[in-house]
Amino acid sequence: MIWEQLVLPTLTVLLALGIGAYAVAVLDRLIAGALGLSRAGSAWLAPLARGAWLLTQSANVTEAPDWQAWRLAPLLYLMLAAVGLALVPWSASLVATDLATSVVLWGSVEALATVVIFLHGWSANAPLALIGAYRYVALGLSYILISMFVLIGVALPAESLQFTQVVASQAELWNVIRQPLGLPLFLIVGLGVSFWGPLNLADSTDLAGGTASEVSGPPRLAWNLARAAMLVAFSGVAATVFLGGWLGPWLPGPLWLVLKMFAVLLALLLAGRLLPRLSPERCVTLMWVVLLPLSFVDLVWAGLEALL
Amino acid sequence: MNHGIGVDIAFFLLAVLAIYSGWRVFCTDSMVRASFFLLVSFIAVGAIMLLLTAVYLGVAMFFMMAVEMMVMALFMVMFMMNPAGLNPMKMVHQERVAMAVGAVGFMVLGAMALFAEFPERPLPADLEPVAALGRELLGESMLIFESAGIVLLTTMIGVVVLSSHRGRYGGAETGSVPPGLMPGGEPAGQPAQGEDSEGGHQHHHH
Repeated sequence: MIWEQLVLPTLTVLLALGIGAYAVAVLDRLIAGALGLSRAGSAWLAPLARGAWLLTQSANVTEAPDWQAWRLAPLLYLMLAAVGLALVPWSASLVATDLATSVVLWGSVEALATVVIFLHGWSANAPLALIGAYRYVALGLSYILISMFVLIGVALPAESLQFTQVVASQAELWNVIRQPLGLPLFLIVGLGVSFWGPLNLADSTDLAGGTASEVSGPPRLAWNLARAAMLVAFSGVAATVFLGGWLGPWLPGPLWLVLKMFAVLLALLLAGRLLPRLSPERCVTLMWVVLLPLSFVDLVWAGLEALL
Repeated sequence: MNHGIGVDIAFFLLAVLAIYSGWRVFCTDSMVRASFFLLVSFIAVGAIMLLLTAVYLGVAMFFMMAVEMMVMALFMVMFMMNPAGLNPMKMVHQERVAMAVGAVGFMVLGAMALFAEFPERPLPADLEPVAALGRELLGESMLIFESAGIVLLTTMIGVVVLSSHRGRYGGAETGSVPPGLMPGGEPAGQPAQGEDSEGGHQHHHH
C-alpha cells in the first residue's frame, strides 16, 4: 500500500528527474560535438564536473534582492518539472498521479513556470535579470494560449482530460498523424517553457545570462538542473499526448516511452543548436499572428475529426 | 466520513497557508509581491478544492490564477509610475472602511459555517465530477456562462481602452511621441531618419 502509493511514484519521478537532466546535458554536448562546435572535456563527465564545480562556488549576492523569491525560484521551477513528470504515465498502471484532469494540471505547470521564471529575474534587483524577466512574461503569455488549444485538441478524441485516456485513444492512430499541426506547435511551446535555443529570451547571451546573470554557486546549479528537468518533463508529456506514450509492439511500455522521450529531446536540442534566437518583438508577433491562428486551425481540425 | 487523517492534516496546513499568504498581501510594500502572495493563497484554496474532490475546479484554479496574477502584476507595473515594480509603495488604502467590511464579511461567513445545517449527502460511487461539470456548463447553464463571458471580455477591453486613452506623452490616438529637449523641438530619443527605409537597422556596411 505505502510502497505502491508513495514510495514507487516518488522514486520514479526522482529517477526520471535525475537521469533525465543528466541525459539532457550529455545529449546537448554530444550534439554540439557532432555539429563541430567547441566543447571542453568529455561529454559524459563535463556535466558532472560543472555541477560539482558550481556546488563548491559561493552564491553571488546583489544589492537588496528579494531573498525569498530569489532563492525559492530555482527550487519552485524544479518542483514544477517534478509535477510534470509525476503526470506522465509510464505504462497503463505505472503512473505517479493518475489525476482525472492531468492535462489541465500540465497547463497550470506551464502557467506557473512563467510566474517562477519572472520572479527569478525580478527578485535579483539587477538590470539584465529584470529585462530577462519581463521578456519572459511576454513570451510566456504568448505561448500559453497556443499550448491550451493544442492540448484541448488531444483531449477531444480521448473524450477525457486524463493522460492515460489520451494515450489509450491513440491505440489505432497516434495524435502526431491524426493532428499534424499539433506536435510542431507543441514543440515550440516546449522550447518556450524551458526557454531553450531559439526561444531563450529570459537567459540569453545578449543579456549576459538574463535572469541567471547574477546567480552563481549552488543556486545556479539548481536553476540549470531545473531547466534540464523541465525539458525532460515536457518531452514526457509530448511523447504521451502525441507519440502514443507507452504504446508499441515487442518492447515493454516504459521502454517505449523512454525511447519516444529521447526522440522529442533530440528534436528540441537539435533545434536549440541549429536555430538562431528570435528577437523578442519578432517572437511575440510570430506567436500571436502566425502560431495562435494555426493552433485554432489545429483545434478545429481535431473537433471535426472527433465529430466524424 | 470515509477520509483518512492525512486529508485533515493537509486541509489545516493548506488553510493556514491560504490565510497567512492572504494576510501578507496587505503587509508587503510591492505590487509584484502582493500579486504573487495572492497567487499562493489561491493555490492553497485550489488544493483544498482538490481535497473536496472538485478535481477540475481545483486544477483550473491553479491555471487561471497563475495567468491572472501574472497579467495583473504586469498591468499594474505598466500603468503605475513605479519603474518595473521595484520601488516600495503602499499597497493599502481606505484602511478603516476595508477593515470594517472585512470584519463584517468574516462574521457573516463564520456564522454561516457555525450555525448552518449542512446536509449529509455522500458522493455517489459513479460520480464523474469533470463530466458532470461539463454538462452543467454547456447544458442548462450555457446561456448564463456564455453571456457572463462576453460581458467580462467587453468590460476588460473597455477598461483598457478607457484607461490607456491618455498615455504618458499625450493622447493615445495621436501616437506616443516624447516631448522635445527644447520647447517645440524635435521629439527626443527618436531614431535618426536613415537613407535605408528598412527601420531598425542602424548598421552601415562599408
